[in-house]
Amino acid sequence: MEILGIFRDIESAAKAVAGLVRVGFTEDQIDSLTSVPYPEGALVRTKQSSWFRWLALTGGLSGALAGFVLVAGTASLYPVQTGDKPIIAIYPTAIICFEVGMLFAIIGTMVGMFLEMGLPALNKRVYDPAVAEGCIGISLTIHGGGRCGALHAGSSD
Amino acid sequence: MSDAEVTVKSATRVNDELLSSLRPPTLAWYLLAFFLGVVVACGLAAFTWQMMNGMYVTGKNRPVMWGFYITGFVFWVGLSHSGTMVSSILRLSRANWRRPILRAAEAMTVFSITVAGLFPLIHLGRNWTFFYMIPYPNQRGLWPNFRSPLLWDMTAITAYIIGSSLFLYLGLLPDLAVVRDRTTGWRHKMYAVLAMGWRGSAHEWSVYHKASTLMAALIIPVAVSVHSIVAWDFAVTVVPGWHSTIFPPYFVIGAILSGVAAVITLMITIRKVFHLEDYLTPLHFDNMGKLLLVISLLWTYAYFVEVQITWYAHEPIEWEVFSFLSSRYTPQLLIMLVGNSLLPIIFLCFKKLRRSIGVMLVVSLWVNVAMFIERFLIIVPTLSHKNMPFAWGSYSPSLVETLVNLGALAGFVLLFILFAKFFPIVAISDVRELDVRKAEVPMGRTRVPSIAEKE
Repeated sequence: MEILGIFRDIESAAKAVAGLVRVGFTEDQIDSLTSVPYPEGALVRTKQSSWFRWLALTGGLSGALAGFVLVAGTASLYPVQTGDKPIIAIYPTAIICFEVGMLFAIIGTMVGMFLEMGLPALNKRVYDPAVAEGCIGISLTIHGGGRCGALHAGSSD
Repeated sequence: MSDAEVTVKSATRVNDELLSSLRPPTLAWYLLAFFLGVVVACGLAAFTWQMMNGMYVTGKNRPVMWGFYITGFVFWVGLSHSGTMVSSILRLSRANWRRPILRAAEAMTVFSITVAGLFPLIHLGRNWTFFYMIPYPNQRGLWPNFRSPLLWDMTAITAYIIGSSLFLYLGLLPDLAVVRDRTTGWRHKMYAVLAMGWRGSAHEWSVYHKASTLMAALIIPVAVSVHSIVAWDFAVTVVPGWHSTIFPPYFVIGAILSGVAAVITLMITIRKVFHLEDYLTPLHFDNMGKLLLVISLLWTYAYFVEVQITWYAHEPIEWEVFSFLSSRYTPQLLIMLVGNSLLPIIFLCFKKLRRSIGVMLVVSLWVNVAMFIERFLIIVPTLSHKNMPFAWGSYSPSLVETLVNLGALAGFVLLFILFAKFFPIVAISDVRELDVRKAEVPMGRTRVPSIAEKE
């Protein structure tokens, strides 16, 4: 279950977060909803590691490979002999590899970003349009099973 | 009224002001859209006439087989260059003054590269067979020859259109959520789909910032490569005047010059039309003016090097081309030099003039007129006076070519005003981010503005 509290300014929202942490909720359970980005730790802490860049890299490499296959494959299947020049010309092949590689890297970045964000969101999630008007939402996820994670975490300390 | 109420009201007011462009269109907007639509229709009619009657309706003739269409193509590719690039560079360098400018610059890129992409197709002739350029299994037994720069152009422009559109969309994402929360009916549904359920959670912002930085870093080399490839269209030939190693950087510099000038023109227009004087301040024009001045100096240096080497080496055919250009097209050459060098360098050296909206409008418009002429002077005089004197000729654009070019200009403006009517033309979250991070801190006997940053 996820519940949302709306605050009008960052100080009161930060106090609420500090209060939740003090009573035993973990940082993982608390999230902030804002219409502008705040510096890391101003409200909540997020995990800094990110994996979507690997998808961008994979996209770039596979794009470059696809570009090479397209140009070199075309040249091999439909050879155009010009003097003693190579059938697979290095210059055009490099250009197409670069362009297709960069295109796939860009697409990989976008796809990876959305996947890591969990968007598009298919399930209904807590939200309040007041966030768009400058209010700050603090959401708290409480685990199922009748006991909230905070109590569970508090009891284990 | 408590401080908290002031904060909320302030954010709402900022939203109201920055979303003013989305209000229902006025009569003036409809009239402008109608006028632009008529010009676009004239351009389309001219193009249809060309398709029905053949390429003879253009002014192209041996030896000048590239004319106004390729001039338009190079011009619009150049214009597209700067929007995304300026946005990316300023984003990566964390220049805070960039914030109100980003969106217009990125939108300009998308629409100008879209317009640019049409010109090679219009120029081709037998336009109904344009799909021959697309590599796919077919019964013709023919595949495109990737040694042709035309294929490099097609690949690069496709990559740039997709890349810059995604870059624009990425920047729009948080703002789409704001618009979603302020609209009802079909508009709400449309923005809800486009916002993809964005809530602005800490995790979303964290990933978003990393992705924005990576996208900015990826799009810069693509932008540079696109105009380098356009330069190679010329430089890999053995045409005197074109076969030059300086062409790619010279083209890139020229592209940034025209792009920065176009961004300034758009900033002035948006500022006036949507009453955004509080957001697009003289400081923004001052900084953009400095950027334009630096690029103008670079362009002047590149042009000087190009001409100086031709003059000093005095290779007969190279010098013949330049002599023909400077004698036959003297007024155009002068307009180009004044617009690209003299005017920006003289005017933009002075802070007072950089902060004058009127001066910046004149300078930015003149730069782009000069850049169009520069593209024309690269193409037409050179082809008129190639290696073989018995095949020298001349070229004048026909009405059809002129109408198609005017239609392209009107199409660009129409796309831009439609975009401004449906999407925030100023990046709301970027502007408001600066507001929440900005504070005045005491320092000695005074208070100085400070912006909170955390690595």
